[in-house]
Amino acid sequence: MTSGTITPYRSQLPAGRDGFAQLLRAEWTKFRSVRSWIVGLAVAGLVTVLLGLLSVAGSHTSCGGSPGGPAPASACTPPLGPGGEAVSDGFFFVHQPLDGDGSITVRVTSLTGRESELEPWAKAGLIIKESTTQGSAYAAVMITGDHGVRMQYDYTHDTAGGTGAVSEGSPRWLRLTRSGGTLTGYESADGTHWTEVGTARLTGLASTVQAGLFVASPDHEEYDQSLGASKTTGGPTQATAEFDHVALKGDWPSGTWSGEDSRGGDSGRQTSVEAFQETGGTFTVSGSGNIAPALAAGGNTVEMSLVGAFAGLIAVIVVATMFVTAEYRRGLIRTTFAASPRRGRVLAAKAIVIGGVTFVAGLAASALAFSLVGRIRRDHGDVVLPVSSLTELRVVVGTAALLAVAAVIALAVGTVLRRSAGAVAAVIVLVVLPYILAVASVLPVGPGQWLLRITPAAAFAVQQSLPEYQQVGNAYTPANGYFPLAPWTGFAVLCVWTTFALALAVFLLNRRDA
Amino acid sequence: MTTSPSPLFSVPDVEASIEVNDVHKRFGPTVALDGLSFTVSPGQVTGFVGPNGAGKSTTMRVILGLDAVDEGSALVSGRPYRSLRHPLHHVGSLLDAAALEPSRTGRNHLLWLAHSQGMTARRVDEMIEQTGLQTAARRKAGGYSLGMRQRLGLAAALLGDPPVLMLDEPFNGLDPEGIVWMRGLLRSLAAEGRAVLVSSHLMSELQDTATHLVVIGRGRLVAATSVVDLIAAASGDRITLRTTARSDAMTVLAHAGATVAATGRDTVTVSGLGSERVVSLLGESAVPFHEVSAHHATLEEAYMELTRDEVEFRASAGGGMR
Amino acid sequence: MRQALHAESTKLRTVRGTGWLLLAAVALTIALSVAAAAAASCPSGGCSQDPTKISLTGVQLGQAVIAILAVLVVSGEYSTGMIHTTLAAIPRRPTVLAAKALTVSGVVLGAGIVAVLGSLLAGRLLLPALSLGDGPTLRAAVGSVLYLILIALLSLGVATAVRDPATAIGVVLALLYLFPILAEMVTDPSWKRHLAQIGPMDAGLAIQKTTNLPGMPISPWAGLGVLTAWATAALLAGALLLHQRDA
Repeated sequence: MTSGTITPYRSQLPAGRDGFAQLLRAEWTKFRSVRSWIVGLAVAGLVTVLLGLLSVAGSHTSCGGSPGGPAPASACTPPLGPGGEAVSDGFFFVHQPLDGDGSITVRVTSLTGRESELEPWAKAGLIIKESTTQGSAYAAVMITGDHGVRMQYDYTHDTAGGTGAVSEGSPRWLRLTRSGGTLTGYESADGTHWTEVGTARLTGLASTVQAGLFVASPDHEEYDQSLGASKTTGGPTQATAEFDHVALKGDWPSGTWSGEDSRGGDSGRQTSVEAFQETGGTFTVSGSGNIAPALAAGGNTVEMSLVGAFAGLIAVIVVATMFVTAEYRRGLIRTTFAASPRRGRVLAAKAIVIGGVTFVAGLAASALAFSLVGRIRRDHGDVVLPVSSLTELRVVVGTAALLAVAAVIALAVGTVLRRSAGAVAAVIVLVVLPYILAVASVLPVGPGQWLLRITPAAAFAVQQSLPEYQQVGNAYTPANGYFPLAPWTGFAVLCVWTTFALALAVFLLNRRDA
Repeated sequence: MTTSPSPLFSVPDVEASIEVNDVHKRFGPTVALDGLSFTVSPGQVTGFVGPNGAGKSTTMRVILGLDAVDEGSALVSGRPYRSLRHPLHHVGSLLDAAALEPSRTGRNHLLWLAHSQGMTARRVDEMIEQTGLQTAARRKAGGYSLGMRQRLGLAAALLGDPPVLMLDEPFNGLDPEGIVWMRGLLRSLAAEGRAVLVSSHLMSELQDTATHLVVIGRGRLVAATSVVDLIAAASGDRITLRTTARSDAMTVLAHAGATVAATGRDTVTVSGLGSERVVSLLGESAVPFHEVSAHHATLEEAYMELTRDEVEFRASAGGGMR
Repeated sequence: MRQALHAESTKLRTVRGTGWLLLAAVALTIALSVAAAAAASCPSGGCSQDPTKISLTGVQLGQAVIAILAVLVVSGEYSTGMIHTTLAAIPRRPTVLAAKALTVSGVVLGAGIVAVLGSLLAGRLLLPALSLGDGPTLRAAVGSVLYLILIALLSLGVATAVRDPATAIGVVLALLYLFPILAEMVTDPSWKRHLAQIGPMDAGLAIQKTTNLPGMPISPWAGLGVLTAWATAALLAGALLLHQRDA
């Protein structure tokens, strides 16, 4: 039935490149040519910044909440440790200068709290500190209320030694030696058999340092479970320790001990009870406060500026879902698959385009929110707990990455469900609701933390700027800004969900008729 | 059969044909295609006709790899569609002119299609000109009339300069001028050696355009034939007689063994007798008549004849298929 | 109006998915409630949490499904062009919206009762401290059903105003979910309180609280009143836009 005289048509059109880049370009053209999607993304960026600014609202009065009226701006700023992090540096220090290398040995015979309430992280022991200035470098070996012997240095580092509390019947010997920049802590039960607890290398430590005995006892805090573990009661505490058999080696030029609260006289604390007495080689020292990193609850954190990302997230989810469901709604998906029959590659191209575009917009928005809020807080004299630039970078970039991956999971769910309303709701519920349930609801801490381990909301951990310190007693709960997973681990949870959603989408795309 | 083209600047070596072999396709309990086979050859416009729900659109989706077959195969240029690397260089298709993102301009619609095949914006502008969309191209497609959407769909189909074209109801929504334009375009595309498959439910649209027909009903092939043969078969040996004495003529001819039917106030259709025999019989009986001619069926009539069974189906099943 | 009502209820009944969505709303509400109650591990007698509120946690999830349902009642018609048919049949547009609102309310009332009763019964089994008969718990139960209806009406209004289903559901869930997060993040206590007072979800769910009422930012019925204001505003905005715009 073919008319044999006809020559089949031969196109003169040059064939284009065959490659994924072409597909990417096509999907990018699709995205940029729908104005409402561009607007949607711009809205996402805008609300991220605006709601970030809202988080600063009315907060310029908060200044550490120090009693007795407003304090000068300098008092608002917490001392910074050698690593640049905010620290609390308050303890009772019985010290004298030490020149060059040397060591100090002591026996601790008791550590008690006032009215026999001893804080688990009350500390008593030996410390070698750069100076009496708050935030200066140090290394210390100590006995604690509930956590045995510890070697700690520079506020954030902590090494566990032997366990068990100290008492008249079972005293503990401690020794701290300095050799150049290396400080080593030892413990012993009898003063003859010594075990090394830990070593600290403090670079740039001055030749003359302050060394001696210290006692600290952190504020007592109690949490009311029903309100999502927010702090309700608390206050300063005090611990008292007894030391004897003080032995010094090396060059200790002054030869006399002086005792003082490390916060100085203007700390507003009752210094009368914080005293030390020496009678016949026995030192009785009382102190309060803590020498440790500051906690999120103690001020504004960097991630507070990025609260708007939640609103941005919702806008991003709407746009990313529509990027595919609009094609289903119009029947355009058939045109797409007729032009590019390898459907998995089409979805991959879409994912890269929407993820990339969202990342760029999200990065711009979160960087802007971060810097604007930071500037406003500085102008207001607000305390922002400082973190390293690397952490700041992780928080800002991580937020953008979170938005981008959320866009991809929205795309995948949209492909699976093919309906926009259901897909948008599903993704928002999946990513945002667990966070609300864990952070701002009646849910107890345990289940809340599990929600933030296994749901995509775990990814918000990437915004947590302050690490959890196990050597500081605190409620490390979502409501206080602490996630159960490490930042990138939490982010990986979202990525795993996204990978599964994408795999399901590809499977269904290839199985279903378009 | 052909190796995939080297990445740059090679003319795709493609064969202009569609082959559908024993395709079965069901949607749940509904059988959409039931062993359908046909081929579409280059250099002609092939009309693809059948009642609503016969499976025309399903067939086209199967050819484009959009719907998977349960059994059988559909090949384009000898290859399954899904294996094509630049499909728009092989087959241009227009399934649904309304399948557009309303807030995207017509030009941008063509642009992403072009980009997906590695083509440039220049080709897009060529096609816009060829389909007469210059004024509308930079407006949002949501505001297009149905006719403009058809033109845009055609531009998309022609974008890759394909040797095979497959258009689903391209005449829908076109004004008379547009229909003439579309017919001319389809004929010229076929004259260049392309295989053109055009579905329609209105045979009159295809009358002057298609040279071949594939007629399907209930997912099966009813006829695959050239238009000339089909009309000849439908016309058969019937004779149209114009007479003022209709009943007399019918009586005489029926007596002579012919099958006679009154088809008008003064026309009678006769079959079973040659025209010379009719003339002599009427002359013998002195029945007056003014014209005896061989009956020439219209394409519509020929089609109705073929699909008589299918109409019953349509009345009972109500076209529930996609 | 009666005809409009009849037409809307027929549409809702015959649209596929309505049944599934209602079933999903009930199932998800009860499922999350049960999970929360099981996790609460509240010893009989001394329960630091509010057992009623815990047992009704699922409403926070179920409301998302109710929102989808309500959004689709309107947006579904826009995306298929059916709205033209609807408005041609009943040209008085506010009547159409009112009929839709009534129909959706009726359906959500039914589903809400099942979901809330199911949650509370499950809560009773898991939390002995929960007593179903007392006044505050009854108020929480009735209020939770009303809450779901108001969420549906809010969604209906938003969907009528913005038309596109994806955007509508995004706006509704943003209204619901963003206030609690903001309230959590804002450091200033008075802002915290105000956000909890005006947020539709925070304020509306105050109706579920049965313990520690004086400490709440807003009293139960006043909270539901705030949500009612939100829903009314959304419906009015929807009606106004429906009236002014071409269909």
